[in-house]
Amino acid sequence: MTVVGRTWNRLTLPGKIVFTVVPVLVVLAVAAVVAIALVGETVLEILGANLPIVRFVVAATAILLMTIPTAFLIIYMEMKGIALMNLRIGPDRVGPFGSLLSVVHGLKVLMKEDFTPTGADPTIFTLAPVVVYLSAVMALLVIPFGPGLFGVDMNIALLYFFAIGGLTVVGLLMGGWASFNKYSLLGGLRSAAQIISYEIPLTLSVVGVLLLAGTMSLNQLVQNQAGWFTDWYIWQQPLGALIFFIAATAEANRTPFDLTEADSEIVAGFATEYSGMRFGFFFFAEYVNVFIVSALMVTLFFGGWNAPFPFPATSLALDPASLGIGLLILIAVVPVVATLVFAAPFWLLRPTWPAWYGLVIGFVLFNLVAVAAVAGWAYISFDWVAGLVWFLAKTYFFVFVFVWMRGTLPRVRIDQLMNFAWKWLMELAFINIFITAGAILVVEALRSGS
Amino acid sequence: MDKALARRLEARFGSTLTGPVRQRHDETEIRIAASEIPEVLRALHDEPEFGFELLADLAGVDTGEVMQVVYHLWSVTSPDWLRVIADGLPREAPRAPSVTFLWKGAEWLEREAYDMFGITFEGNRDLRRIFMPPDYTSFPLRKDFYLADDAARSPGAGVRHMERTHEPTNTPGAERTRRVRT
Amino acid sequence: MTTESRHASADDPRVLLDEQVGVFEPVPPYPPRTEREAEFYTLRDGEMFINIGPHHPSTHGVLRVVMKIDGENVVDLDPVLGYLHRGVEKLCENADFHHTIAYMDPLEYIASLFCEWPAVMAYEKLLDVEVPRRAEYIRVLTGELNRISSHALAMGFHALDLGGLTPILYSFIERDEIVEMLASITGQRMLFNYFRIGGVNGDLNHDFMSRLGTWMSRATTQIEANTGLLNENEIFVRRNRGLGTIDSQTALRMCWTGPNLRATGIPFDIRRAHPYSVYPELDFDIPTRSEGDALARYLLRIDEIKQSLRIIDQCLHEMPDGPIMAKLPRLLRPRPGRAFAAVEGPRGEYAIYAVSDGTDQPFRFRIHDPSFLHLQSFNLLMEGRLIADWMAINASLDPIMGGVDK
Repeated sequence: MTVVGRTWNRLTLPGKIVFTVVPVLVVLAVAAVVAIALVGETVLEILGANLPIVRFVVAATAILLMTIPTAFLIIYMEMKGIALMNLRIGPDRVGPFGSLLSVVHGLKVLMKEDFTPTGADPTIFTLAPVVVYLSAVMALLVIPFGPGLFGVDMNIALLYFFAIGGLTVVGLLMGGWASFNKYSLLGGLRSAAQIISYEIPLTLSVVGVLLLAGTMSLNQLVQNQAGWFTDWYIWQQPLGALIFFIAATAEANRTPFDLTEADSEIVAGFATEYSGMRFGFFFFAEYVNVFIVSALMVTLFFGGWNAPFPFPATSLALDPASLGIGLLILIAVVPVVATLVFAAPFWLLRPTWPAWYGLVIGFVLFNLVAVAAVAGWAYISFDWVAGLVWFLAKTYFFVFVFVWMRGTLPRVRIDQLMNFAWKWLMELAFINIFITAGAILVVEALRSGS
Repeated sequence: MDKALARRLEARFGSTLTGPVRQRHDETEIRIAASEIPEVLRALHDEPEFGFELLADLAGVDTGEVMQVVYHLWSVTSPDWLRVIADGLPREAPRAPSVTFLWKGAEWLEREAYDMFGITFEGNRDLRRIFMPPDYTSFPLRKDFYLADDAARSPGAGVRHMERTHEPTNTPGAERTRRVRT
Repeated sequence: MTTESRHASADDPRVLLDEQVGVFEPVPPYPPRTEREAEFYTLRDGEMFINIGPHHPSTHGVLRVVMKIDGENVVDLDPVLGYLHRGVEKLCENADFHHTIAYMDPLEYIASLFCEWPAVMAYEKLLDVEVPRRAEYIRVLTGELNRISSHALAMGFHALDLGGLTPILYSFIERDEIVEMLASITGQRMLFNYFRIGGVNGDLNHDFMSRLGTWMSRATTQIEANTGLLNENEIFVRRNRGLGTIDSQTALRMCWTGPNLRATGIPFDIRRAHPYSVYPELDFDIPTRSEGDALARYLLRIDEIKQSLRIIDQCLHEMPDGPIMAKLPRLLRPRPGRAFAAVEGPRGEYAIYAVSDGTDQPFRFRIHDPSFLHLQSFNLLMEGRLIADWMAINASLDPIMGGVDK
């Protein structure tokens, strides 16, 4: 055994990780510095010349990376929310209040054995989760998260969105058929029937909004709802919003319309034969779908990234570099002073505690206050921060409503579901369009007549 | 103990019964031959003075000498359970008529009796095994049923009385069969 | 390599190569044994078999149902039993009378006391033993508690099979409290082994009475709250109304008993029709409904819980003092003879037919279980229904496979 081999055997696991990763990082850093020194200028020139493409690539990557933490968060919300509704505790071991459990689930899903069942068509079997996941990610490209925070601003954004939503059907059918399993086939066919049936009320219900706004660009729709919350389209299109919400629940395969994965009937539906990361893709795609339909609901009817009331246009945008040496003093002095200030009450009121308790508490409190102060300053000075905060708050409220419905309602049967879509929702959506169009004509006539 | 029921039964079925009507606690018992099952049970079910509409149980019994099919019936006309014992089925090839024409629910009960004892019910549309696998070759509840690797029959029979019931012998099953006159 | 690989090679007959894997059809590999089997296993155009297999979240145990479906419509079905067959009847023939009581528990494991009860009643008839009154009252009290917990569980699983995740946890709050109560007197939360020949095993104690008092004080409101979540729920009602309808004459022909029969309109309850124990002295009603569908069965179980609460109340007030076990010799040798005893369990008539030959082991111990007969009726109930309806019907019939398969 060589010296290296003996030393390697004596290391603990963290040591092994460190000793493998650190040299790799060092080499990468050196290589990066060299590359920047050599070709940095030319690369920047090329990028600057093709800024829209660069922007698109960055946005698409950001969205792809963003789906994972979103899915983690929504999965955790669901597990904890439904548990609390069931009078249970839910996850509470991994991380504070179990918040890291979904991360651990993600890791577990990566570590499972990856197999294809005998008799399954390997190509289609592998591609099915990819198609479903990609359709979810692509739909996120057009949603405006804040002023200036969107992937692409198309003027047919809404149409693109519904077209991509239809791509999910292809993925589910692929998964159901290629699994070589009758349960999967049933699940896939059910899901195809369900999603196709509910796409019609879904698209029809937003036609009212399109008539009012005159554009399919989601960015423009949000900007139309700027101002007070009474400007939101929910007040002008309540029926449309209701139909959209119900149809979106069916599109996202959520309870009470979750027959495609009804685990008390056909075990896991189209995903019965999937395990490991392939199932992880289906799983994440479902929760990203929940996020997407909530986001669209918010964008179309609840004002998008607008706050419920117009904020006074102030700006505290100050350039930290202008402080000069004051910045250094600020960074050095303020934490120490603030820690001592926050620790003082504990020293005075709890003399039995050791002194360092107070220091620790003081430091934690200072951190909280500092984060709050920086966040508040960012909110006030940057409009995209404010927009993002409101958008996410509203979207997660609707995600909570979806989780709430899952914890409360049983599921409908396939024929009841199809009846509902074709005999009720579609008709109501048509009625909504007629009423909206009629109202617009009447208002226009009154306006031009008077 | 419903004496009136006993009198009605004797009056109606006097010659068909193969023994006296016996009563104990809240049960009345009659014995018939296996071939009489359809008529007797139809009479008990349909005739208004009896009206035994509920079949509470259908069981097979292996007495060691003969096989029996035992029906338990209930009626609103009597506070007693009525037990009809169809006696005298031969142990080698037991056959009995089916009562599925009266109670469709007896189909599975007869399947169970067939599966456990080998009693073939003529007229049962679906007489196949119900608990045991379809390729099983013996009938488990028969008294001469012997599992080759039965631990209770292993050498070094146990200490307590219960464990000594099946002493290890090399005698074939027929001689170790428990018999009872009942 | 000289070392043996841990994985089987392609020559190993246990390994199925890809070419050998056929279509996984649940068609049996032998020729059909009966005309019904032949009729079932011939497929017409467009039909296929699907196996609601022994591993399934909704089968209430290990039940296999081979369904012949045409799309989502179920054309025919064939339940396959025996996955939980443990040979209890044969075991009981080789065991003492006392031991058979413990064998009875795992049959209807949710309502174990109702499995022990007819066994001890049959023995008491064979031994001509009179059970002390206090023991009878305790039997009724614990039995009704067990009935409530069984019905609560049945309703919870009914909702779970339809997709509602919450009601089962609410039902389990009730069930948990009741089994804790019963654990304080029987020592077990589930398979109680509490009834003895001539009485019960242990007397009521302070822990039991205090838990019972706490629970009874809020039981009614709790049950109202738990069931209110589902009774008015549009989706639940739509899924269950008109489903699995059976009329009373057909139910009698299929030998149904219990709440399933009472939901069709026939007020047959063994506690009133053929009273046993101290039920003649207790004042309670027999709830009946006439629709005969799944919703009626569900609502009937709620009514029965309320009646059971009445019975428990009366038992507590009228509980006499006295011994809890009759004086019996250690080694019991009943008279040679036959005895039949039936009780009204939460699923129906649970009966034992015991044949004794004068020794201390039963000669024949026949167990009659109600769920066995309810499962027989799937073909009738599933006329022209969808796959999803089977889950709802199965849940509303509330079978327990432990009893079905014995």
